[in-house]
Amino acid sequence: MSLSVETSAAPRRARWLNASRRVHLFAYAMVLPAIVLILGLVAYPFFYAIYVAFTDRMVGSVGNWVGFANFRYLAQTATFSSAIWNTIVIVLVTDVLKLLIGLGLALLVNQNLPGRGLFRAFLMLPWAMPAFVAFLTWRVLYQPIGGGLNLILTQTGLYPHVIDWLGQRQTAMPSVILASVWRGFPFWFISILAALQSIPKDLYEAARVDGANAWERFWMVTFPGIRQVLIITTLLSSIWTANAFEHVWLLTQGGPSDATMVFPVLAFFGMQTQRIGEAAAVSVAMLPVLAILVIVATSMLQKDED
Amino acid sequence: MTLQHRMRAWTRRRFMLAASAVALAVTVGGAPAMAQDKPFAGTKLTFWGGLIYSEAANKMLVDAVNAWGEANGVRTDVVMINQNEIVQKLSAAVESKTLPDAVDLSLELLLVLSRQGVFVPIDDVYEAVGKEGGGWYDAVDKASAVEGGRTGLPSGVGGNLLLRRTDLLTAAGFDKAPASWDELVAQSAAVTAAPVAGLGLALSNVGDGNMQLSVLQSFGGRLADDAGKTVTIKSDATRAYLTWLKGAWDKGVFPPGNATWDGAGDNQSYLSGQTAFIANTGSVGLAAKKQDPELYDATAYSALPAGPAGRISPIMLQMRAIPAASTNQAAAKALLAHLAKPEFASAYYEQAIYGPVLKGEAKFPVFDGKDPIHAGLLDLVENGTAPGYPDVYNAAFADAFSNFIVPKMAQRVVIDGWDFDRAMDEAQSQAQVIYDKY
Repeated sequence: MSLSVETSAAPRRARWLNASRRVHLFAYAMVLPAIVLILGLVAYPFFYAIYVAFTDRMVGSVGNWVGFANFRYLAQTATFSSAIWNTIVIVLVTDVLKLLIGLGLALLVNQNLPGRGLFRAFLMLPWAMPAFVAFLTWRVLYQPIGGGLNLILTQTGLYPHVIDWLGQRQTAMPSVILASVWRGFPFWFISILAALQSIPKDLYEAARVDGANAWERFWMVTFPGIRQVLIITTLLSSIWTANAFEHVWLLTQGGPSDATMVFPVLAFFGMQTQRIGEAAAVSVAMLPVLAILVIVATSMLQKDED
Repeated sequence: MTLQHRMRAWTRRRFMLAASAVALAVTVGGAPAMAQDKPFAGTKLTFWGGLIYSEAANKMLVDAVNAWGEANGVRTDVVMINQNEIVQKLSAAVESKTLPDAVDLSLELLLVLSRQGVFVPIDDVYEAVGKEGGGWYDAVDKASAVEGGRTGLPSGVGGNLLLRRTDLLTAAGFDKAPASWDELVAQSAAVTAAPVAGLGLALSNVGDGNMQLSVLQSFGGRLADDAGKTVTIKSDATRAYLTWLKGAWDKGVFPPGNATWDGAGDNQSYLSGQTAFIANTGSVGLAAKKQDPELYDATAYSALPAGPAGRISPIMLQMRAIPAASTNQAAAKALLAHLAKPEFASAYYEQAIYGPVLKGEAKFPVFDGKDPIHAGLLDLVENGTAPGYPDVYNAAFADAFSNFIVPKMAQRVVIDGWDFDRAMDEAQSQAQVIYDKY
């Protein structure tokens, strides 16, 4: 009797756990730790932050569900409007400037110039430098009295008066953007350079044979060759810039007034006053903007692949 | 029995047994006494001390806690926390449930977190320390009272003194400290000539910027009504304050960059000789003493100037508290009481920029009047105003204070060029949202 049971169960188990299923199970077992990590370290904090944004939670309290109250409050404040506008300006302007500088330098270094290896390494220095050090150095350069920029301007006679670079509404944002561009352009430069070097040389030869001038060669050969890299670089750079905290915090702390206030600094102020619900609401308010950016970039990449 | 025979009789096993018996007898017999002397022996205590501008004071605090731990058989772990970062560190610790057993913090933070039940009442320690130290100063006693029991033990008084460059001002014909805000602007204007800008007051979103609230109050302005519920920023008094501020700004007496200064902005500005006046706790004077003796000699200290409604010179309290989550509250209480004893406190005040909290501490040598900074701090605790005064110092006030409502209003006027009504309207509505939460 027992023998018959064993003999009937064994083939069933063997059928169910065939080689194909075993491979699948093994594959699932292999990705399970990654799924658990993603759920624990990405999904949980992400959805929890969204939940907290709808509560009046403060440090040390559980908080109550307040619906859209935090968002309504934020929408009423002039500082929040400034943060939206400033974040958009910083992302757009720095991206455009980093693109122009990165592309220009990449095209230059892609030429067969003497000492280009050294030049390439030199250009990576701002990216290699810790952000903290970089922006504190810029802060010193911007000092109204004794700062490097003002010293250059006054000593050379270009401008005899002291400029309060970070302390005036008109100059604070351009100053933050300049420092951010300086720190971030090497990423664009190296990404574009890598893409340029993957374009087959014979395409340029063929274009020359066809009588294409320099602009036509760039537009018809170079640009399609680096298009995908540009999209990804734009996407990454935009997300990083929109989320960046240290450049504004170390230079202006969002001031003067709210001239350079951006989302991350506003969220930090919320945390500093222990109002976690409001701080989370600021962060969550950024999500649609970033989501649109990701969707646009992804669809462009998809179109290219198709 | 020969000696050799007797030695042989004491075998290693017999010796070990005898030694163990003696040790056991000593342990059992001495245990009650030890338990009485060292009731916390074998426990562990983590203390977050307040890291301040004086290295000597910081070292002294660490050494004192560790020495107390050794004397009581307590394993102490002292972590010195920069007081500019205590809000973030403590908030993170509350959320992650990793609070220490005792912590140094500002009164504002204590007030807000006490509402969430983060700290245990320590009325017994407060009473005992007060009795032993000759009683608490009135301003300290009133300010440190928290709803539902005292949750903090005052450990030092800070506040703003007006520091001025006597070398520049005497040359310009000013021998006395400015008595009013208008006089301050007049004196500042007289010595303003590049690279010196007279009036080094911060208008940025940092703690130093909040001194503008004291200026506003000395013009008769208030954050809220007597009930501490309804915001009353928009008023003629606030308009008068803003008129004064705009006038000073337009005269160019503020140094460039003061609207984006961080917490050290005024310190650096004064130490580098770029300003003639700053309002500071005295740490700048201490730094000047070491780094620039000439500047130290040329610096005079006085109370803040008065406005039309009088002088508002609030004391700021540094507190020690015990988190409710601490598993070693009894030891933490004993440590707090120990650190309040004159043996430690007297030596600590010598190195730290704090005024006394207990009347008995005024007799410490450091407060004998020879040191102008400590003399100023003693004067502050005896004659200064309570925190927030004339406003009601409640959690809503502390929250609004942390949100830099007044310096932001000031920036709207001088940086953005908003008219007074618009700036006051924004400050009024933002502060009311905060007050409505409490």
